[in-house]
Amino acid sequence: MSATRPIARSLLSRRLACSLTPTTSSPAAPLSRPPQACHALHTSAHLAARRRPRFANVSAANMGLIDNSWSQEKIDKFTAEKFTRYSPEEMEVLREQLSSEQLEALKAGEAAVDPQDLTVQGALRTDPYRMPYIDDFRDIQPIIDRRPRTQPPPDPMARFMNLDEFTQDLVEWSRKFEVGDKRQKLKRLEEFAPPEWQAKPEKQWPENVKREAHDKYTGYLTIEAAKSQEDVNAGGSGSGPTDADILEYVLERSIMTDNNLQSQSFLAPALPRKVPGVAGHYKTSTDELDVEGIYQGLKARTGMSVKQITSMTLKTVDVNFVSNQTRLGKIPSVRVTMIAGNKEGWLGVGVAKGGDIRAGSQMATLKAIENMQPIRRYEDRTVYGNIKAKISGTVVELYARPPGFGLRIPHRLFEMARAVGIRDLAARIPRSRNGHNTIMAAFHALTHQPDPEEIARGRGKKLVDVRKVYYGGNVQ
Amino acid sequence: MGIHSITNACSHLSNASRARLGLTSLPNNKYNLLLSLALHRAGLIASVTRAGPHPPPPEALLSFEAEPVTTANVATRRLWLGLKYWNNEPVMRKLTAVSKSSRLVTASYRDLSRVARGFQSGQMKGMNLGETMFLATDRGVLEVREALEKKVGGLVLCRVN
Repeated sequence: MSATRPIARSLLSRRLACSLTPTTSSPAAPLSRPPQACHALHTSAHLAARRRPRFANVSAANMGLIDNSWSQEKIDKFTAEKFTRYSPEEMEVLREQLSSEQLEALKAGEAAVDPQDLTVQGALRTDPYRMPYIDDFRDIQPIIDRRPRTQPPPDPMARFMNLDEFTQDLVEWSRKFEVGDKRQKLKRLEEFAPPEWQAKPEKQWPENVKREAHDKYTGYLTIEAAKSQEDVNAGGSGSGPTDADILEYVLERSIMTDNNLQSQSFLAPALPRKVPGVAGHYKTSTDELDVEGIYQGLKARTGMSVKQITSMTLKTVDVNFVSNQTRLGKIPSVRVTMIAGNKEGWLGVGVAKGGDIRAGSQMATLKAIENMQPIRRYEDRTVYGNIKAKISGTVVELYARPPGFGLRIPHRLFEMARAVGIRDLAARIPRSRNGHNTIMAAFHALTHQPDPEEIARGRGKKLVDVRKVYYGGNVQ
Repeated sequence: MGIHSITNACSHLSNASRARLGLTSLPNNKYNLLLSLALHRAGLIASVTRAGPHPPPPEALLSFEAEPVTTANVATRRLWLGLKYWNNEPVMRKLTAVSKSSRLVTASYRDLSRVARGFQSGQMKGMNLGETMFLATDRGVLEVREALEKKVGGLVLCRVN
């Protein structure tokens, strides 16, 4: 709001004046302005009184929809009946059964909870915001309950300690441990010097005296240290931090100026090593047959196992070196056409481009396996009738042939027929013999074979395959 | 009775089924009527109804009481054929006329028996899966299998796929 605008300024001044009126009761305050002239800080009209609804409401109790007939006497009576205090006899029994701490807790609980509250408020909740389970909230159930926030929020003003603060912190931490000569029983260096030098400071001692005193003092300290170590080993009072203390200091002590405040962790608590009931059921995401994870997506999309995927018959049937002409020059890549089949009536064609043949082949392999479709085979050995398909200028004609005829077909069709499990087939490619188009046309022909059953149903005729009727249906 | 009406009917029915028509008409003549009835016997069309220049109501195709043909109305009569579709595909997909006015093609019983089994006979290619053939014989217009039953050959009208 701009305070320079006249209306806003007047409103602001009036608002300030009225907020000051109740606190400053000085005689200088202008009496001409009544306190009810105080307006809110907006320009809408002041309401004279509380707004009433135009139509009177009727309470639910008046209409008999709810029962509010619980009078105080009734409440008292119910309380006295249902929530009686422990009698002295019962307390005697409890005193025998419970420990003194439990008894005290019981008494504290009895004193804290008013029995009338139990009558009025103690009910199983039926409101929509009730807990989805019945619980007295004694225990934290990690599956249902949220993690309790035991730590206060982090100090927003905390910063990294400087050198002095760090030293001070280290000294404070080290005070927790009894280190050094706490009992003042150890001898000092002066006591090992000759008596005439004991009163004088160390700097004035001659060199031989100093060395002799230091040698004796070092020997004494070594013996004392060995003694104290023996104490520790024998289970005596620890002197100094243990390795665990030092590790805790390194890993867990805060390096911020927050008095070593352990803030709330936002990480979910880790699962235990073996969750009961679930242990042994985990499956790692990577397959031992597929360490590089090439088939992860394919596994998810097709539902096949890596073993099934890798058992497919694969063949590279066409490789083209293609290039994309850009303003920066030609970008070469390789287009690879692959087929995949399971030798049992499934065939897929995959086309992919890559920087080199290997990259293209890998992508084409995945696509071929993903594109696999069921191919209808007559007697699991040949196709149904004569099929013709055309892609661009390429026409592929497939002819069904009798058993034992073999695969007398061009090489790309041969690979396809072998991958799908067709053993008797003849074919012609009367026009263009482009490799990619040949594959696509043959795939289209194989996937669009006529179905004699459907033709018969369309014409309303009965159809019998005589090969399945003669010789007891043993022709195969 | 010219063969040209059969040739025209084949082209028209091919186009009609490709256009997914439900009811189409042919000129009313004996040859067309015989072919239509043969197609109906083979299950390739749903209905054959003789009516005027306007199609009969589709719901009354089978129970339609045809107006008697008189010399007054014979010129306006047409044959209304109901086409069949199964699985969103036409049952009668392609009709290829074989004989034409300038070249009549006949087939003996011996030829037909080979062709019906899928083998070539002379210039006539064997029938493919789902294919059938219609012939004009001295026993009427017959499908190839009917002709084989009756052991007759005749004039090859069309192949239907």
